[in-house]
Amino acid sequence: MPSNPSMAGALVGAAESDEIGYIEAGKTSMMLHIEAIRNVAAQTGIKISDIEGIASPGNANQIAEYLGIHPKWTDTTSVGGCSFQLHVHKALAAINSGILDVAVVSHGETGYSQRKNQGKGTGRARGGDPWAPDAQFSAPYGVAGAPSNYSHALTRHMHQWGSTKQDFAQIAVTTRDWATLNPRAVMHSKETHPNGGPITIDDVLNSRVISWPLNLLDCCLVTDHGGAVVVASAEVANSLATKPVWIAGAGENMSHANMLEMGDFTATSAKASGETAYRMAGMGPEDMEMAMIYDSFTVTAGITAEMLGLTPRGEGPSLWANGNAGPGGKFPVNTNGGGLSFSHSGMYGMMLLIEAYRQLSGTAEDAVHGLPGKQTDAKSCILNGTGGSLSHTGTLVLVAD
Amino acid sequence: MADYNKPIPDPDPYVTQPFWDGAKAGKLMLPRCTSCNRVHFYPRMICPHCHSSSIEWFEASGEGYVHTFAVQHRAFGGWADEVPFVTAYIDLKEGDRMFTVLRGVDAQNPETIKVGSKVKVEFEPATDEVHIPFWRVVE
Ligand SMILES: [Zn+2]
Repeated sequence: MPSNPSMAGALVGAAESDEIGYIEAGKTSMMLHIEAIRNVAAQTGIKISDIEGIASPGNANQIAEYLGIHPKWTDTTSVGGCSFQLHVHKALAAINSGILDVAVVSHGETGYSQRKNQGKGTGRARGGDPWAPDAQFSAPYGVAGAPSNYSHALTRHMHQWGSTKQDFAQIAVTTRDWATLNPRAVMHSKETHPNGGPITIDDVLNSRVISWPLNLLDCCLVTDHGGAVVVASAEVANSLATKPVWIAGAGENMSHANMLEMGDFTATSAKASGETAYRMAGMGPEDMEMAMIYDSFTVTAGITAEMLGLTPRGEGPSLWANGNAGPGGKFPVNTNGGGLSFSHSGMYGMMLLIEAYRQLSGTAEDAVHGLPGKQTDAKSCILNGTGGSLSHTGTLVLVAD
Repeated sequence: MADYNKPIPDPDPYVTQPFWDGAKAGKLMLPRCTSCNRVHFYPRMICPHCHSSSIEWFEASGEGYVHTFAVQHRAFGGWADEVPFVTAYIDLKEGDRMFTVLRGVDAQNPETIKVGSKVKVEFEPATDEVHIPFWRVVE
């Protein structure tokens, strides 16, 4: 008989690589993976040799080999930035089935260093399939990278729901406020970046146009980043010194792979993956006390807020209005400073997991990862990752003890 | 044509070739399912609506409407010389969508470009064999 995997497993540790952000000396993705895994092993007291399962987009097998371990469970699911949410989902199911007790989900990505490295050391195969649909029917038209695709969704949202660029700019402003409380955030202050520190809506609207209607400050950073979390069974979770953050609900879904197949440009599969996660948890949006929402772009975060039931349809950005989502607000969102102002290496899902773990385990202020005012009192978090071109989503409902 | 310096599609000879044969002849050929009568795009060997494998090709009107658009200020290769330019998803009159660089619009003034504008297809020869469809606002 299948059983509900809710609470069968927990995140029991979360760590970043030694260095994140703009690593001027350069690193490879494997170096970032290994640093993060070493750090999460030290944090949890779980020996690398005791890792039973490993997940990472595309290359979990290579990481296991590099570590000299022989996991009995691997997951190389690679569907963009939400891959890590899907890894946690699948690890939870595997734990609930009794297949394993300890899995590590790992991320290492050289969004910044790969220029210095001339495209080497990314851990990824290069080049696409010339016969793939996007190569034949999208690429000929000059789109280059995520912003050039996501901008079409914001145009449609403004047309369909009467929203404005100002509404979405508020998301960037509030998210930056959180970054000023995170010393590791790229945009923490003028000390960390010439353009760091607080910003205004006018700053967003006056920043360089990248792909109208998206301006530079509507877009995430492009950094180096590594991270790892440990997903463990309840038995293991309760035996460790670190605090568990329980996985109450998990869900995944996809609407398309190529944006050509995106039906409603103002909606994503976060509605379906969110409903699955809420149902598993036996909770709803009204039970959530904070949110970690993928903010590759302001439009990503705004639409996702609607999909997760946190605002009415068409009013996603209202979640950030009046300081509600900012420091000291009644519903904190993206408390690390987000992909917009903390760090975003290309696949941001790991950063969501790490910050949610810190918030719900009460470790969001330790002078390295947060200054006074960053730790919230939230005991529950709705967490959603988005991958591809608003394509794939993974949603988790996390709760503290 | 010899100086076409932007990405040129590489038709696959198994499934999409009829589309590109049509384009070369100045015709917009679309795949339609003979079981549910619905059009789909990009071309497939199975209908994504009802999963019938009975697909026929027909010449479409070449008319549609702008579903949404964006103005690209950053691009690579040959397109880098064209910025800013407008990209758009087109609702085809016969159903489903195509992507394009939109012609007949003012990229410097995005507020003058309207979702819902009527568009028509035209074809630009990139090579002797591959002619690329582009859509132009006609009202
Ligand atoms: Zn059909």
